[in-house]
Amino acid sequence: MITDKELLIKVDKLEKKFDDLEVLKGIDLEIDKGDVIVIIGASGSGKSTFLRCLNLLEEPTGGKIYFEGVDITDPKVDINLHRQKMGMVFQQFNLFPHMTVLKNMTLGPIKLLKQSKEEAEKNAMALLERVGLADRADAYPSQLSGGQKQRVAIVRALAMNPDVLLFDEPTSALDPEMVGEVLDVMKSLAKEGMTMAVVTHEMGFAREVGTQVIFIDEGVIVEQNEPNEFFENPQSPRLKDFLSKVL
Amino acid sequence: MEQFFKNLGESFYNNLIYQDRWLQLLEGLGLTLLIALFATLLGLFLGFLVAVVRSSYDMNIKGKHKKGFGVFLIKFLNVICNIYITVIRGTPVLIQVMIMYFIIFGEAQNGTLAAILSFGINSGAYVAEIVRSGIMSIDKGQFEASRSIGFNYSSTMIHIILPQALKNVLPALGNEFIVLLKETSVAGYAATHELTYVGNLIRSRTYEAFFPLISVAVIYLVIVIILSWLLKVFERRLRNSDH
Repeated sequence: MITDKELLIKVDKLEKKFDDLEVLKGIDLEIDKGDVIVIIGASGSGKSTFLRCLNLLEEPTGGKIYFEGVDITDPKVDINLHRQKMGMVFQQFNLFPHMTVLKNMTLGPIKLLKQSKEEAEKNAMALLERVGLADRADAYPSQLSGGQKQRVAIVRALAMNPDVLLFDEPTSALDPEMVGEVLDVMKSLAKEGMTMAVVTHEMGFAREVGTQVIFIDEGVIVEQNEPNEFFENPQSPRLKDFLSKVL
Repeated sequence: MEQFFKNLGESFYNNLIYQDRWLQLLEGLGLTLLIALFATLLGLFLGFLVAVVRSSYDMNIKGKHKKGFGVFLIKFLNVICNIYITVIRGTPVLIQVMIMYFIIFGEAQNGTLAAILSFGINSGAYVAEIVRSGIMSIDKGQFEASRSIGFNYSSTMIHIILPQALKNVLPALGNEFIVLLKETSVAGYAATHELTYVGNLIRSRTYEAFFPLISVAVIYLVIVIILSWLLKVFERRLRNSDH
């Protein structure tokens, strides 16, 4: 366990507008190393937009994001370098369909981290081994099941050796019987101390591995707490209402 | 009946054998293929360039309030590309060939080069729109996944988007090349002795239209059939690579 808290990401009054639609209305959040932040909320609440702002896939229209002490919303910052250290896993997997599993995983490390092909493949195989997919290294994404695709997507992000992993509803596009295999991988990552920010509807996951749970509604953080207190003793009426619908 | 076949044989001899006219046709075919090949390469190069500019503009700048030199550059290039596509698609290719040969080249001796340039520039405009539609058809998630790994915009294009886009538009591109091959039949206006020009030349010498023109038509047909077959094989191989 990490006892000395080390600040990894600091979000300061983050705002995001799409034309006239205000999606995020000033969000403050601190993520320490080793934290597993679980973000929940109704659809349209802004939780995915918030997550996508963290690596600037959505450009914030206000506020600042500090990643490892650097304000990455500063236009002068080379965001590509910082994104290498912020892995992302998508709801729709977004594997590259024209590449094998192995190529999907080694493209970034070879081109961006300048690893040799042998080194990148060795790392990739070790990661695949870990999620039980070593025998699918030469398969193409279309030959995999949804759960397998998402596990590949996770290890593709891991292959870049990131400091934080962002999960955007990683199990929402999966058949129910495949949710478990993906959550298991995420749980084992959390246990190893990987810093994660997870947007999800899996309340069981939030309760079991979350260090902090955040409820976003109408573009603001309505409630934030450690999981037990969050689920057992919700304060705001909106969270109570939300929990009564999903639990 | 006997007379008919006798005339036919004579006609065949006059139009194709006498003075090695079949050889002239073959040489014309060689020039046609040469023009088509290099025009295709030029068209592909221009088309990809224009497609990347136009789709970059559509996806990243259109309707957004962004500033900076890069944004200005793309906006500027996009205007140039739009003018290029409008002018090329809005005028007949024959006029373009003649402008290239008589005005830009000023009737210098190199009609073949003039033909290659005008057909290449012409084809580029069509290829650009084909490739652009291919780029726009790629799921946005592919961009996002690539950018989230840390690839910049151009690496994302090169490694992730263009290979998929190319595969999607290959049938349309193949069609464009076949059209281009046949369009070179007007290169004779730039004093180029390509296939159609040679056929017409023979017709004007023998005062017989049947054999010269039908021979030319058959040669185009055979080449197009071979090209279509090659494209089909190529498409199948690409498709096999990702099941």
